[in-house]
Amino acid sequence: MTHLTRRSFVGAAALLAAPALIRPSFAADPVKLGCLFSSSGTMANLEGRLNHVVRMAADEINGRGGVNGRQIEVLTSDPASDWPLYAQVGRQMLQQEKVAALFGCWTSVSRKSVLPVVEQNDGLLFYPLHFEGDENSKNVVYMNSPPASSVLPAVDYLMGPEGVGAKRFFMIGSDYVWPRTINKQLKGYWKSKGIPETAWREEYVPFGFSNFQTLVNQVRSFASQPGGQAIVVLTVVGSSIPDFLREFANQGVTATDVPILGLDMVEADLEGLDTAKLVGHLNCWAYLQAAKGERNKKFLGDWAAYVKAKNVPFSADTVIDPMVSAYDSVHLWALAAAKAGSFAVPEVRQAFANLSFDDPSGYTLTMTGENNYVSRGVFIGSVNEKRGFDVLWQSADAPKPVPFSPYG
Amino acid sequence: MADPRGRPRQAGLPPWYLAPWYPAFWYLALLCLALPAMPAFAAPLDRAILAGALCGDGAAQVGAAEGLVRAGGDLPADDLAYAGRLLGALVERRLACLPDGALLLVGQNAPEGQDAVTGARRPAAEARAPVLGLRQRAAVETARGVVALLTEGTPAARAAGLAVLERRITIVPAAVLDRARDAESDAALKGTIASLAEAAALSSPDPVRRRAAIAAVAASPSGAAAARLDALKSDPAYRADPAFRVALDAGLAQVRRAVAIGDGLAIVYNGLSFASILFMAAAGLAIIFGLMGVINLAQGEFIMLGAYTTYGVQEAFRRFVPGLLDLYLVAAIPLAFVAVALVGIGVEALVLRHLYRRPLMSLLATWAVSLFLVNLVRVTVGTQNLQFSMPAYVSGGVPVYADFVMTWNRLFAIGFAGATLILTLLILRRTPLGLDIRAVTQNRDMAACLGLPTRRIDRLAFGLGSGLAGLAGVALCPIYSVNPGMGSGFIVDSFMVVVLGGVGSLIGTLVAAVAVGGANVLIEPISGAVAAKVIVLVGIILFLQRRPEGLFAVRRRR
Repeated sequence: MTHLTRRSFVGAAALLAAPALIRPSFAADPVKLGCLFSSSGTMANLEGRLNHVVRMAADEINGRGGVNGRQIEVLTSDPASDWPLYAQVGRQMLQQEKVAALFGCWTSVSRKSVLPVVEQNDGLLFYPLHFEGDENSKNVVYMNSPPASSVLPAVDYLMGPEGVGAKRFFMIGSDYVWPRTINKQLKGYWKSKGIPETAWREEYVPFGFSNFQTLVNQVRSFASQPGGQAIVVLTVVGSSIPDFLREFANQGVTATDVPILGLDMVEADLEGLDTAKLVGHLNCWAYLQAAKGERNKKFLGDWAAYVKAKNVPFSADTVIDPMVSAYDSVHLWALAAAKAGSFAVPEVRQAFANLSFDDPSGYTLTMTGENNYVSRGVFIGSVNEKRGFDVLWQSADAPKPVPFSPYG
Repeated sequence: MADPRGRPRQAGLPPWYLAPWYPAFWYLALLCLALPAMPAFAAPLDRAILAGALCGDGAAQVGAAEGLVRAGGDLPADDLAYAGRLLGALVERRLACLPDGALLLVGQNAPEGQDAVTGARRPAAEARAPVLGLRQRAAVETARGVVALLTEGTPAARAAGLAVLERRITIVPAAVLDRARDAESDAALKGTIASLAEAAALSSPDPVRRRAAIAAVAASPSGAAAARLDALKSDPAYRADPAFRVALDAGLAQVRRAVAIGDGLAIVYNGLSFASILFMAAAGLAIIFGLMGVINLAQGEFIMLGAYTTYGVQEAFRRFVPGLLDLYLVAAIPLAFVAVALVGIGVEALVLRHLYRRPLMSLLATWAVSLFLVNLVRVTVGTQNLQFSMPAYVSGGVPVYADFVMTWNRLFAIGFAGATLILTLLILRRTPLGLDIRAVTQNRDMAACLGLPTRRIDRLAFGLGSGLAGLAGVALCPIYSVNPGMGSGFIVDSFMVVVLGGVGSLIGTLVAAVAVGGANVLIEPISGAVAAKVIVLVGIILFLQRRPEGLFAVRRRR
């Protein structure tokens, strides 16, 4: 009974959240794609956008005549930021709706819960977030970068002469697999550079935590101790990010005193904040809204037009990396399906080798036959007054992803 | 550049970056020219070189800014003001760099601007506005602090410049502070500069000045001051000069004591602030739960509605009376109370009224109401965090003692919670409605026998409880992110507080909020935030095992 109630509740919530749940299909026999992004709970503000961007990409492809002669139909759901529910909804999509591919998950804990489901059903999950690596499933396409091509370049930058010559590190994360694994790898990395263990501190908070006074006090006293420049490596997620930033600024700490490297911090987290006091804090992603180039301009214009046309309840002027990654993943899937001439997962997977796609970031995404990782460019962004990020540094080209970290 | 982990480079540098207009030695030339060792000449600033360096690579920018700090004491005022304009433009990304010069733009991405050297108007189509890295930003901030301290017209602006320099006092040359002190007309600021100048002489060769510096540093204690003094222990003078040793030990002890007191104050403040939030969230629930025994799971969403009402008031102010925008938080207080109280009364009349004899059903019904409200707001307003313009009285903070900073938004919440407590107590103890509510809470049947309209009192009390949640929404706007899901985080904590305090007792709720808030804040630094939550929860469970009725039980007959 519980099972049924819960499921019908999800359906009801999804209906309420997205009035146009299922678009009317106009091809006789459309191919279905499923989305696993929450529109309620702590991740709603971030994940909710990805449903719409997947639809936008599908609309683009449908406008060109679809894939293999068939139109795409996008199914959305609401796993309500409840990690086991992602697996449940994912199983339903694969077994009942027979979706050709899943696009979903933000936190690694939700991906880990969907992983056995896609492996048992030989499905395909496109995961649009940069993450901790150390995983290589043939059923997951890792659209974004593992630490070696996102976190480590940013930490290197901060430790180097161009950054602040950081010597000491205060790690604050939400208490789950992504922050803990990232921090473990960072500690291994610092050890390999001969940095003593006394130079870092590690603190974790529960999901949705918002009372950061004590932690900011601790950061300030950590930073005032001798031993070199301190930085904060922030791996909290969801609504904890703006709450931490607000407390940090209110206690009068600026980026030039103690810079924050916000690994999950995106443009959307700055909505609602007065960023004048936060200027200079950093993030690192495979795409920033400030990326130069015509492709980005076109994407931003398309999104704004889409928001307007479909009355999407999100900002038309804010585009974040996972949105672009989700958009890329639909296109990559379509390219692979077209190349394979089939929607069957094994054949689509075969077609990933040597696939490439020019995405809005300005880099060319490529895949090899070795694994399901996608090579992406690296951006380091710096918070500006207008609740956005300026591009502080970007890699010359897209590095080859390293799935397993040697540091932890 | 193939290796992404290799040396980072400045983003988007055009090919003319290496053009001869930017020889790296230019900024070195600026440094030489600006050396404070030549005060007799008081060489004027070479504006073209400064503009060129600020348009150069990271090292050139840092060099130029540091050069300005070093030379600041000797540069003529108009040169300083000019450098200030350039630096300000650089920070705000209004400094556009061209292959043959730099432009000052009116706003970011303006189509044309003034040449930084000649003042002529030129198009800025091909120009590049550099993004400051952290090191460059720190150097430029310090240089701007020097310029502000030496050239600004108002004492407040000069004090702001001084505050920037105070953070990096070790790199500010004595000449800058001396010049500022001599020129300062404001007596209080003059005193501050003088004591700062005194404290800056920590490594002076003169032992008397040095001891005075130690005393001056100790007079404004902080963790950073402790680190500065501690570093002096490895100074040879610490062994050789007994007077120095005594002065240093005394200063260090004084600073450490002050820092400990400051940390203690911070703990008290953090505990109070957390308690005030818990109390605000739980106060309405205490009344509703205590009076009717209804477990209102929509209480968190009522808080959310209060915050959204505040947002509506802000938008109305922005449109109709933009001059009074700063007062919207105050104006929102009665409006949020009334609006959410009306929603509460509506919910009671439409849903709960029919379910009083079925507590489980009313629990489910309020949960449905909470889902409905969340999704209603999500569909009508959107899921993004709302943008609040924070008036000065709820943003930033003021350093009170040592490292203890009192943040205005938390102080606002504490004051707000105090006022709410007093008003609610007055309503409950001093008004006819309060008398009725207390009578119904203590013995519903007897109250009904005596002719009290218990149903109407239920409805009003539900309205009062909902209105209190609306007030909590106002108080939370400056502290938390406001979005449709914000309410869900409060419901567990508020029930914990209500049950611990004793059902139906407002004072119990207050004490429980202070206890839970204080315990969280005390345990958090020792065992981390996750364990703190668990320990507090276990503590509450154990306490309730011993004393199921909570801290302050209201005696009642059912």
